[in-house]
Amino acid sequence: MANVTSTATMDKPAMNPYEAHEWKHPTVVAGVTWKNPVGTASGTFQYAAVRWFYDVSQLGTVCTKGVSPVPWEGNPGVRTAEGPGSNINAVGLQNPGVDHYLVDDLPKLKAAGATVISNVAGHCDDDYAQVVEKLADSPADMLEINVSCPNVSHGGMSVGADPDALYRLISRLRELTDKPMIVKLTPNVTDITLPARAAVEAGADALSLINTVVGMRIDVRTGRPIIDHVTGGVSGPAVLPIGLARVWQVRTALPEVPIIGIGGIDSGEKALEYLYAGANAVEVGAAALFDPIAPLRVARELDDLLDDRPELAAKLAAGRTWR
Amino acid sequence: MTTPTATAPSAPPAADIVAQATAAGFFPPRHPVRVTRVDELVPGVTRLAFRDPYVAEHARPAQFVDLFSPDPLRPMPRPFGVSEVDGDEVSVIFAVIGKGTADLARLEPGDMIDVLGPLGRPFNVREAAHYVLVGGGLGVPPLIHTAQRLADRDDVTCTAVFGYRNEHFADRYVGRYADTTLSIDESEGNVITLLDRHEEALLGSGGKVTILSCGPLPMMKAVASWAAKRDLPCQLSMEQHMGCGYGTCVLCTVDTVDGRLKVCSDGPVFTREQLGWE
Repeated sequence: MANVTSTATMDKPAMNPYEAHEWKHPTVVAGVTWKNPVGTASGTFQYAAVRWFYDVSQLGTVCTKGVSPVPWEGNPGVRTAEGPGSNINAVGLQNPGVDHYLVDDLPKLKAAGATVISNVAGHCDDDYAQVVEKLADSPADMLEINVSCPNVSHGGMSVGADPDALYRLISRLRELTDKPMIVKLTPNVTDITLPARAAVEAGADALSLINTVVGMRIDVRTGRPIIDHVTGGVSGPAVLPIGLARVWQVRTALPEVPIIGIGGIDSGEKALEYLYAGANAVEVGAAALFDPIAPLRVARELDDLLDDRPELAAKLAAGRTWR
Repeated sequence: MTTPTATAPSAPPAADIVAQATAAGFFPPRHPVRVTRVDELVPGVTRLAFRDPYVAEHARPAQFVDLFSPDPLRPMPRPFGVSEVDGDEVSVIFAVIGKGTADLARLEPGDMIDVLGPLGRPFNVREAAHYVLVGGGLGVPPLIHTAQRLADRDDVTCTAVFGYRNEHFADRYVGRYADTTLSIDESEGNVITLLDRHEEALLGSGGKVTILSCGPLPMMKAVASWAAKRDLPCQLSMEQHMGCGYGTCVLCTVDTVDGRLKVCSDGPVFTREQLGWE
């Protein structure tokens, strides 16, 4: 078979991602300095799994999996399918709860030297408030409010797609914490600038986008959906153009708000596209399902790409964006 | 109906990323390896071998590797239990059930593919025992590797009890290692037929007997029940649609008495007690 590709070797200069590296190009998001503009995307990072593969303190940030007030079991049965250039997931925010997070993942990540974004999940406004209250005095560096999960029956995307409900929720959470608060937006809306504006007017310090795109696959041998939850969230290389367009639209509507771009990033060059679209930083998600060290590799590649783009690098370091 | 192919003519390139990771104290990430053999064992069932010194050295019974399709439109890893290790060559056996596995079956010696592994918690085979490996269909490959690892020890005996739909494609592989190989196909019965038929021989020696099983879910439940009725320890290697394979995405869960656990990194091996299969 000709033209066999290998992401470990494809179009890359010889680079050892494990050697000690002086990060050259920081960014600033809502007052928090990231040593480089690359973090992990929530839901694709579990410290207990990733720690065996690389030093997570090398990343700009680590955004942990959504935590809820009590442990959630997530969805039963088959949770994943493959789409063209993509993964589809319907985990349903399985997590051991905020109390466990506060004594396990969070202190371990801080001890490892990571800059941590704690992702907050809920089925209702009270759920979000309970988690934010508990995280308010924690060592978390930033909070990210997940109002965009497509795989839970209440909360998640149902809040994030309704600007009025979102405004009420974020206004309430704003009262509970001084920590920089990021609101993670869903692309599954007609006009993403409406929830984006509502979140910022309610007191969000930054926006992250996009969460996954609703999708599904069907097994033609059975005629039934592959995923037991029927639909899931699409992520991976296929969603890159969707994420870029959403970031561009939000940056155009809201010139000042810090934006973390997410969606289909698996190389420094794709991260760079998001920065040119107006993002202050990026997060790498599904690529970590295809290679554990993808976030680190993206960060190293981007650090070198920014050497040749001093104007962009200077803007990011000053907390500003290309456009 | 085996289709032998020539082995790869040249040695693989140095897998630098593996050396870099291990030198830094980390587990190797996804890395390219060279395919050495591709054999169709029976129509629709392929044995693929590749040269991977790291996996060859470290893989333990029931551990698996993620293989990646060369087609970037199919980015999800395909997890396969290691079926045999020969020097620095690792093999897997899989059924072609979709386009991703078809991509892998079309590979030729000399091609490069990407691998991550070895992954998962292995069977616990520390104790001296008579290990009875009960496998069905495409669950048998990791049991071949288990038999291979047990064959090096003089404190264990090993019986393979394999069930097939029709052709007994794995007998000649496991037969190299197991002390006894029993197999059956659907024209005659299933693995429970064999376990019942040979119960006295399997259990009569008086020593400790441990069941290790991998196969379709209904088969494994029946095996766990057979073991429970005789109060035998039983470890089962589970399968589930997987994402990452190393524990980060939480896509491949199984319900256990301890809650919903990840098949890839909490398993794939669970005891019948953990699964609540009594």
